Amino acid sequence: MTTLLSIRDLAVRYRGDGLAALKGISLDVEAGERLAIIGESGSGKSTLALVIAGLLAWGAKIDGCIDWFLPTDADARGSKDRQASAINSSTPRLGRDIGFIFQDPSSSLDPVMPVGRQIAEVARAHLGIGWQDAFAIAKSLLERVRLPDPDAILRAYPHQLSGGQRQRVAIAAAIAAGPKLLIADEATSALDTIVQAEIVALIRRLVAEDGMTLLFISHDIALAATLADRIAVLRHGELIDLGETNQILDAPRHVYTRALLDAHLGLDAAPLLDRRGAQS
Amino acid sequence: MTVLAVSDLTKRYRRGGKPFAAVEAVSFEIGQAQTLALAGPSGSGKSTIARLVLRLLEPDAGRIEFEGADFLALSGAALRARRAKLQMVFQDPLAAFNPRATVARVLDDPLRIHGIASHTERPHRIAALLERVGLDAGLAQRAIHEISGGQRQRVAIARAIATRPSLIVLDEAVSALDVSVRGRILELLLDLQSQERIAYLFISHDLGVIRAVAHRVVILDAGRIVESGDARAVIADPQSAIGKALVAATPRLNRNRP
Ligand SMILES: Nc1ncnc2c1ncn2[C@@H]1O[C@H](COP(=O)(O)OP(=O)(O)OP(=O)(O)O)[C@@H](O)[C@H]1O
Ligand SMILES: Nc1ncnc2c1ncn2[C@@H]1O[C@H](COP(=O)(O)OP(=O)(O)O)[C@@H](O)[C@H]1O
Ligand SMILES: [Mg+2]
Ligand SMILES: [Mg+2]
Repeated sequence: MTTLLSIRDLAVRYRGDGLAALKGISLDVEAGERLAIIGESGSGKSTLALVIAGLLAWGAKIDGCIDWFLPTDADARGSKDRQASAINSSTPRLGRDIGFIFQDPSSSLDPVMPVGRQIAEVARAHLGIGWQDAFAIAKSLLERVRLPDPDAILRAYPHQLSGGQRQRVAIAAAIAAGPKLLIADEATSALDTIVQAEIVALIRRLVAEDGMTLLFISHDIALAATLADRIAVLRHGELIDLGETNQILDAPRHVYTRALLDAHLGLDAAPLLDRRGAQS
Repeated sequence: MTVLAVSDLTKRYRRGGKPFAAVEAVSFEIGQAQTLALAGPSGSGKSTIARLVLRLLEPDAGRIEFEGADFLALSGAALRARRAKLQMVFQDPLAAFNPRATVARVLDDPLRIHGIASHTERPHRIAALLERVGLDAGLAQRAIHEISGGQRQRVAIARAIATRPSLIVLDEAVSALDVSVRGRILELLLDLQSQERIAYLFISHDLGVIRAVAHRVVILDAGRIVESGDARAVIADPQSAIGKALVAATPRLNRNRP
């Protein structure tokens, strides 16, 4: 396996004197893997996603390094050479190298622009093509994310779509330029269970078809386990556990991971009602 | 004893000029100290039913019987008195308050409005309520923006039980909480139920949570009941298409491994 990005001793502070939102994070993300980042609210999941994507708020203090091993254009033409690039020399471009899906699709979609144009714009900006080709790509992407009647949806505005449909559009825009890395930060948390399962299946299929690397960020360990090859557990800004999905589920090394697993209310666990004999 | 009996409840709105039913001919009953869960996809009518039961919305048709009385016929003082027995906890229940309001202020309201305790008694009542929901009485002087999400949900529960209700409507009340906190809040709800005989109308999109705490479940699709029964039996073997889809979509720790 080749490494796509290598994080070493990463620390992030939002305010100079404030608590570290992330500290001592070292992690290699392998090309083509599906890595889940899980943890409770405030554990630093979004901060990690944002710092990797280069989206962290201006003024945040970042220590440590993130090294990228993006295929060069020569690779794209068939060569096997890989070139390392430090975060401050050649940062990967959001949109072209990294696709980002947020929890709330409204935050990445422009409410006053037809969704077809928003997807086409990503393709045009990063692929050096004209509007006509970009719109053709947008239409085929709407088909790939399984939206009904792509011709009508191309001209629709975000508010005319349901939450699940908006998230499909946001995914189409995120992958329009063929990024190597797709980051989904709580991308299904605002959706109902049925739509959530559909979006997870969609992400799984697109990642496989395009050979993308996936960072799937979630507070839900069971959901993460349905998709991930590996799971990383964050707590209070620290990476406390990391392993293959089966190992994390069956033999977690850290007590906190065990506690998260125990707190999951599954469809086969003993109901709380029974555990305490409160049934009336 | 039946606490709440809803029959043929219907609420219509207009969409694109045409009328559509957000809730259509919905009937169910909840007994004392029982939990009935409402499940269904987004837009299936769960919150609309909650608001109808609380009389925050008026139905177009149907009956609501609460503690044996025709709840829709009540007004004025009689409605206010009966309302004390019917409380609610929502996903972000203290959102309506000024974030600088203190916990004491949030708990003082129901005690004062429903004349439950005199001015001098109220601080003791507030301390007792906080302890009842597992919080330190010292929290009373904190502003609600200074406490955690889990603590806020406990304060909301304390506020709901202040009037000794027979029914609490909980709409996605634990959905925004971290799993560790969620478990403790659910335990608290079960404790209160067994000790004070409170019934719950428990709305959640999460069948795992429903199965953990509910006696019965009603599954809704597009405003109609498509299936109902013992929560475990329905979730183990759903009969309706939406019931099957909800169960299939619920993530499991020991299945669907990559
Ligand atoms: N004030 C309103 N005007 C028009 N339509 C409404 C209104 N309130 C709700 N609706 C519609 O009624 C239907 C039921 O909505 P409701 O909020 O009860 O769903 P829900 O089951 O609570 O969904 P969720 O799981 O997303 O909370 C939806 O189609 C909704 O768009
Ligand atoms: N823009 C910001 N300014 C200041 N602090 C922030 C900001 N964003 C996040 N934080 C803080 O950083 C920590 C990690 O937050 P976050 O990465 O959003 O966690 P998660 O996504 O796991 O919930 C928290 O303590 C949070 O309050
Ligand atoms: Mg986050
Ligand atoms: Mg609702």
